[in-house]
Amino acid sequence: MLNRGTLIYIAQRVVLIAFTVMVVSFGVFVVVHSLPGNAFISDRLHGKALQLLLHQYGLDQPVVIQYWNWLKGAIHGDLGISLVTRGAPITPIVLKELSVSAMVGGAALLVTIGLGVTFGVIAAIRQNTWVDYTLTTFAVIGYSVPSFVIASLGILIFANWLNNVSNGAFYYPLPWQGTYGGGGLSTLISLSLPAISIGLYTSGQVTRITRASMLEVIQQDYIRTARAKGLKSRRVTVRHALRNALVPVMSIMPSTVLGILTGVVVIENIFTIPGLGKEFVTSITQQDYNLTVGVFTIYAVLIGFANLIVDLLYAVVDPRIRY
Amino acid sequence: MRFSRLKLGGTAVGLLGLVTVAACGSGGGSGSSSTSLAATQTLKFPVYQPPGTWDPGEADAEVDTELMQNIYDNLWRFDNNLNIVPDIATAVPSTSNGGISSDGLTYTIKLNPAAKFNNGDPVTCSDVLYSWSRSVDLQGPYASNLSAIAGYAAAQTAAGAPPASSSGASGAQTFQGNIETMLASQVTAGSGSFIPSGLSCSDPETFVVKLAGGCGWCVTAWTLEGSTGAIVDEKAIKGDPVNWWQKPVTAGCTDCMVGTGAYYLSSFDAKQGYVFKAVSNWWGSPKPTLTEIDIDIHDPSAINSDVTAFEQGHYDLIGYGGNSGNLTYELIQSIKGGRFSSDLLTQPKGRTTWLSFNVGWNATGGPFLGESAQAKGLRKAFDLAVDKNGLASQVCYNVLCSAATGGLITKGLIGYLGDGADPLSQYDPTMAKQLLQQYDPQGTLTANLKYSYNTGGINDKVAQYLQNEWQTNLGIHVSLNPDSNASDFISNRLTGKYVMSRDGWQFDYNHPQDWFDNLWGYKATAAGSNTSGFDDPTYDSTLKMADAEPLSQALPLYNQLSQILQQDVVYIPLYYLVGNFVIAPYVKGAGSNTAFDYYWNNISILSH
Repeated sequence: MLNRGTLIYIAQRVVLIAFTVMVVSFGVFVVVHSLPGNAFISDRLHGKALQLLLHQYGLDQPVVIQYWNWLKGAIHGDLGISLVTRGAPITPIVLKELSVSAMVGGAALLVTIGLGVTFGVIAAIRQNTWVDYTLTTFAVIGYSVPSFVIASLGILIFANWLNNVSNGAFYYPLPWQGTYGGGGLSTLISLSLPAISIGLYTSGQVTRITRASMLEVIQQDYIRTARAKGLKSRRVTVRHALRNALVPVMSIMPSTVLGILTGVVVIENIFTIPGLGKEFVTSITQQDYNLTVGVFTIYAVLIGFANLIVDLLYAVVDPRIRY
Repeated sequence: MRFSRLKLGGTAVGLLGLVTVAACGSGGGSGSSSTSLAATQTLKFPVYQPPGTWDPGEADAEVDTELMQNIYDNLWRFDNNLNIVPDIATAVPSTSNGGISSDGLTYTIKLNPAAKFNNGDPVTCSDVLYSWSRSVDLQGPYASNLSAIAGYAAAQTAAGAPPASSSGASGAQTFQGNIETMLASQVTAGSGSFIPSGLSCSDPETFVVKLAGGCGWCVTAWTLEGSTGAIVDEKAIKGDPVNWWQKPVTAGCTDCMVGTGAYYLSSFDAKQGYVFKAVSNWWGSPKPTLTEIDIDIHDPSAINSDVTAFEQGHYDLIGYGGNSGNLTYELIQSIKGGRFSSDLLTQPKGRTTWLSFNVGWNATGGPFLGESAQAKGLRKAFDLAVDKNGLASQVCYNVLCSAATGGLITKGLIGYLGDGADPLSQYDPTMAKQLLQQYDPQGTLTANLKYSYNTGGINDKVAQYLQNEWQTNLGIHVSLNPDSNASDFISNRLTGKYVMSRDGWQFDYNHPQDWFDNLWGYKATAAGSNTSGFDDPTYDSTLKMADAEPLSQALPLYNQLSQILQQDVVYIPLYYLVGNFVIAPYVKGAGSNTAFDYYWNNISILSH
């Protein structure tokens, strides 16, 4: 698969991603540094003490110079230091948070594909039966109800109500009790509800696309031929029909992945998950300029590479596609 | 290919099971607790602001000082009733015990020989000399607590200003590193330009402070926990003068957060949380029972899920770390109506909110500017038109706040005038209307007025309440000017950009000087914190006298300052903040006073 053409394509995309990231980081840098106020000022910290701090952190310099200084560090992997927790280096903070968000996003993607493809295939095979109607209805509800509503309902039912009716014996535990980038039961439990909240929403779309695609594929002559040759139904579905049916599904994956990434921002804030999505919001409200720029930059990199990976997977699923 | 109903049902059950069955936990809930100690002495709670800095010389936020009071010691400390009691010093200095000279300018302070840093180093006079000089040199937000010491300004001049840096790190390194290097050698020599001339050691256990003038508030200000008066270890700072305070203590560490308190920093996860552990064989008393304190850093929006986490038993309390204002009325009512109602603790906090008029900022202007009868009359009209008790009941439901009727200084603190003693707390819409008719009969002066405030909490409801009161009782429509950017609002307010704005103060230490120096008059103007711009020769001369006198003699003078502000109608008193905590019944010794949360070494976890 990794022929010369593919490698050139990847190199071009990486250059494009780097350029995009630079544009995004510059834009965000200029915007957040142009906002009135700063992270330091308080009823006690003002006047001379404030001026000293602004000077010390280089915040009284022209924005372009500040950006240039930041960019020099960023190229070497140093995203600067936090202004709220003064002096704390940002790179390890965002990498830790990224590991949490990756787990949440990964789990949500599993739910999305797992439920979406499975339900789509079943609904297609059992077309116009109660199973089809049930799963299609489930999909419609799934993509009609925003993830934050599902999340809030989930907390209400599993964290509050269940805890109360069972007198503290069973509940979905709050807040996040997982570990950074690690496994373990507590991480799995903490991941479950957030992943389902995001996954139910995005899986609805995947279910619909998979169902429609499967219906089209299973009407094809080669499927009929495969059945006529006596192949088992499961083998025909999985080996012959599903692979081709997944091509249209792959086409919606970039938007699905993007939906998950943005969904993670909302869900992390609802579930108090210490990930990049939570930082995305709090760094803005706390005016931690450097951290805001760092988080945006990481998101830009993530989205760029997520799209690249999905594009490369096209070629895996559909051999007709060449780069 | 067929899928049985059983398989579909199994899928659904599996999904639910992932959430619920796997989430089987130990359970939480309020209930009776025994008097025996639990096997695990770990206290868990959330805070709603990440640490700014735990360097006492630069600290500012309440969330930081609330935690640091358990990590560092000052020469004295406040007990739970806000009395000043010895800490590293053996006594609170007074003229009667010889700690303060007859002219009131020299303090001789004996140090407790038992006092030790948590790395085992004894605390000597050199450490105190280093710590206080360093706080002066760093010129942080609370450096002015040491401003009465002779040579204060000269030492700051010698220390200079930090150079600008690309990312902050290298510049801070130069500034703080330079102070560290210079002080380390000068403290060894006993004097130098970085040490205020008024600070010295007469022997390893005796610290001497000479003041430039009389100071009745100094000992109280020097006692402020986790701030400029706290004692730090030069050996720990030397290795990393900038970030030493965020480095957990490990065996033999040379650049970590070494303090003298009952607890030390065990792990630090910037933006996420941190763990403190008890110092074994701590020199002070009472000896800590809690062995570990686990703190999560959350956004304020997480308060709902944190209350759920409390009910599940994950957190032992909510509200510590200066966060007793986070519980909303709806949440409080919900808790009151459930099985955790007995876990609620209500405690008035030392924070007063008022409305400031622009009295002295000429560039901003407005109808309230100046000392003319017209300006005062209009200020009075707007004041009398507001029902303060109505605000407390309608906006705060008499739960989140109480009406500010006893002056600017909050009830329970020195300087509180008494319930209903503030004439500006009166509500008289008839008189308000008469004053308006007298001073602005055409309504031209009071047209197009704006009330500015920072959004969040109850501020929006308060603003709407005020707007409604003025409309109803004066017939004046005042526009609201909300600012969701709190730092922008504070910046504008402190520089007198508003004609009418939300204003307030949370006391730092229990002395009226903390209020009258920082908010009005020449000192506040010089510091850049005089919101109203009110400055008056009588106020300034009275303030000078009051600040120089011992509290007993100064209190009548501070009361005179209150009267000056009231006669000039510089403000409209609004409310005193009430803090709300939830504390599990098995957490013994936890609580809070007007100023701070009770120290961790007073707390234990009972079997439950």
